Amino acid sequence: MLAADFQETSDNMVEGSVTIQLPVAEQARLNRKLADTYHRYNIDAVETENRNKYPRRFNVKVGKIGLAKLLFKEFFKYFGHWDVVFSRPCTYGVFSGPVGGFAPRPDLCVGCLRCEVQHPEFVTVTHNKELAELGDSYLTSKHIATIDEESRKGSVPVRGQGYRGRFGGPGFDQMFTDMSEIVRPSRDGIHGRELIGTSVDLGSKPMRLKFGADGGLLEAPKMMTIQVPFFYSPPPDSVATGIVPEILAEAADKVDTLLFLPENTVTNQGLAGPHVVPIIAPGQIGNIESHAKGTRMVEMSSWNLTAWNQVKEHPLLVSIQLPLAGDWMSTLMEMVDNGVSIIHLITDHHGVADDGRFVMDLYQEAHFALVDKGCRDEVTLIGTGGIAGADHLPKAIITGMDAVGLDYPLLIAMQARLTGDTKTRGAAAVKLPSNLDKGWGVQRIINLSCSWRDQLLEILGAMGIREVRRLRGETGRAMWCGHLEAEAFGDIEGFPGGEH
Amino acid sequence: MAKKEWPKPSPKLLEKTQHLMHDGFHQRAFPDTPYELPTALGDARWTDELIASAWYMAETGECPDHLNYKTGKSGGGFDRLAFKELPEEQQLAADAEVDITLELNRRGDERNKRTIDVPWYGGGMSYGSVSVNVMMSRALNAKKWNTLMSTGEGGYPSELYECADNVITQVATGYFGVEEKSIQAAPIIEFKYAQGAKPGLGGHLLATKAGEEVAKMRGSVPFVSLFSPFPFHSTYSVEDHMKHLDWVKTINPTAMMSVKVSTPHDVDMVAVGSYYAGAHIIHLDGGFGGTGAAPEIAKKNIAMPIELAIPKVHKFMQMEGIRDNVTLIASGGVRTADDMAKAIALGADGCVLGTSDLVAMGCTRCSNCEGGPSGRGCPWGLTTTDTELQEWVQQAWGADRLDKYYTALAKRMKEILRQLGLSNIGELRGRTDLLRYIAGGEA
Repeated sequence: MLAADFQETSDNMVEGSVTIQLPVAEQARLNRKLADTYHRYNIDAVETENRNKYPRRFNVKVGKIGLAKLLFKEFFKYFGHWDVVFSRPCTYGVFSGPVGGFAPRPDLCVGCLRCEVQHPEFVTVTHNKELAELGDSYLTSKHIATIDEESRKGSVPVRGQGYRGRFGGPGFDQMFTDMSEIVRPSRDGIHGRELIGTSVDLGSKPMRLKFGADGGLLEAPKMMTIQVPFFYSPPPDSVATGIVPEILAEAADKVDTLLFLPENTVTNQGLAGPHVVPIIAPGQIGNIESHAKGTRMVEMSSWNLTAWNQVKEHPLLVSIQLPLAGDWMSTLMEMVDNGVSIIHLITDHHGVADDGRFVMDLYQEAHFALVDKGCRDEVTLIGTGGIAGADHLPKAIITGMDAVGLDYPLLIAMQARLTGDTKTRGAAAVKLPSNLDKGWGVQRIINLSCSWRDQLLEILGAMGIREVRRLRGETGRAMWCGHLEAEAFGDIEGFPGGEH
Repeated sequence: MAKKEWPKPSPKLLEKTQHLMHDGFHQRAFPDTPYELPTALGDARWTDELIASAWYMAETGECPDHLNYKTGKSGGGFDRLAFKELPEEQQLAADAEVDITLELNRRGDERNKRTIDVPWYGGGMSYGSVSVNVMMSRALNAKKWNTLMSTGEGGYPSELYECADNVITQVATGYFGVEEKSIQAAPIIEFKYAQGAKPGLGGHLLATKAGEEVAKMRGSVPFVSLFSPFPFHSTYSVEDHMKHLDWVKTINPTAMMSVKVSTPHDVDMVAVGSYYAGAHIIHLDGGFGGTGAAPEIAKKNIAMPIELAIPKVHKFMQMEGIRDNVTLIASGGVRTADDMAKAIALGADGCVLGTSDLVAMGCTRCSNCEGGPSGRGCPWGLTTTDTELQEWVQQAWGADRLDKYYTALAKRMKEILRQLGLSNIGELRGRTDLLRYIAGGEA
């Protein structure tokens, strides 16, 4: 843009003359034109209704005889006061159908329980088991309900009342993020949240720049930037081809992030592009040359030194998958020693490694091992596994990831239902809405991405952190429930490991 | 934004609705009725039994024998702590005098000396987030109990002046409704830096609740969402904070200063800084506190629970040698008399109640305070300024419920002290040796 503007400015000059100052108004116009070409990064969320009926939260049962008795009694008691006779104990319309409470509309129920408290003799409100049965032990029905709302509205879920869940908890729930009473990312406070950066770099950050004798840069940094610290991981095998990869690819393009897909899917469905990362087996790594259409990065599906040596000087960025299994730390070090600049740590869908440990611990191990080695900024660590809610995103970054992969939440956003082995990567059976179409699916993924980014901004804003890159590995701005409990309760009798 | 104004309910409709509601609370909370607790009532923090016991207490002034009114099922914090009661023969007699009053000004300066009759007061709930009826119910009860309640950040409705000596004026980051007059009327000015339910995120009153009267009070446009920014834009250091307090001290030369903060990593440093800036009361608001509207991600994930912050601050202030010069108040997830006593045993001087007051007046914690799908706010008439719904809670009824509820809380608080052989609430402060941690489940 600067070059174009310079050209336009030059065009206004008299040839052969000395540089003259343009009239102030004209200069202002050009400046304005230049400024208008700048677009602050934004994800365009559009409310997108569910395609499949989502299980309602509550079931409402009304005893018809009891209701009839009440109406009969009130008809005479309040005869002439029809506002009283026809008043209903619900502000949400559950009893506002054509025949009132005789055919309640439980889809509208929010569980305030006013009807049940006021009329205990014939109204019962219960949690809907169909909703409670969604998900598994990790990706719970609560996660699914939240993702559904996020992908429908594209906004940050806001509710009244306080927290309703358990104290601390396993997995990501064991961490509280910090906040600052007075330090803010900008003078606009949290409401200047658009000034908080969420872009991250993938690749090796140069520790120094080298210039030739002519002043030119000798080595251009081999890295790229995506606008959000999350990317889309490959869908399970049962939906690895067809419309799902198409939807994810388009959404990745619009959000300006990446979609990782098996190489054959990319090739067969013609999905190659700047926002798609083909995953290539080490034995096929020679195929890297065939990826065109602006592909910026490929991923090797496992570590193999020979294969790596083939591609390490290739202009495309190459990441390498590292399952957190066995002696993964040794492999990590070997990869780093051999100059791998993007390492993709992978666990199952519950974020658990083969030794039973959770990703938060493992991510920290990986991160701090590279810090100790003095090369953390030369390596990008990305992780996939166990991200089920918006709060998991900043927490995974705090524990050391530069960016994290989304998997099941993307399918939930498209109202998919997962059954079978939902823990093992790739194994789940996925049932998609029968009327799933590309446009709808893309918007739902965009909405989810927008909502999660906005929630990340809330966390960053509260912490007073100006860009997500600074959050990586900032364990000093996190609080672990177990540590805090030991500090607070350590001198109390009965506390495990305490003084007593 | 145009919004439908609902008519005020007719006297007959009011009578019917209130009768059904009040009778319903009774039917669900008392053991001698044919009805059980609603199966969809409650959650891990506020169980069905905790909610129903608050209804029972608010009707009788007694603690129920048939419900667990002491702890929830959150699996941690207060719910894992129990008191080490003395053997019965060593406990104080049931009729022994127990002092649960709390002195608030410990700085020894010339400002108000104020002792409240119970070691708790009412937390901030703004006009707009709740109705004048709810505010007045709380204020009238605070007056009766010689304690306090806070305006929250939404102005000072004129009705409150009747109880001015028991009303704390809150100054928060949006300065909504802040006037010289209301600052001068207050015995305590509360600076709200942050709120536990949404730490670091400021306040948010959704458009549907910012009606004509609310907007007038806040000096804003009706039915436009109101954001209270974060943080105070004039405060970027402890020195700025001190100037803040000095400014208000000048406007009201007798009021005590309270500083409400959330519970970040460095909450201990924040508390000490606030003390040196001139605060009489350090009010810690933990991450499990209530709110009229907050992003779901903020609840629980940002900042620490109050149980974990209290000892941290208490011990640090002890080390600094200032502990006895400041009053440490805890809130944000304090639900019961047992919670309050545990908070004091962990190091607080007293507590602030918010959600508990609402539950006593009928809240079922359905989380639709922000407006809900109806856009009208709380169907129980609590967290709403809807012209019809707000009438369900009348001031006299609300104040009476809270009076009885506080009676039950005070009884239980005294019972705990007697069981521990203590005759003064001050003797409980920081006595973690009187607590037991229940590792395998809830206390």
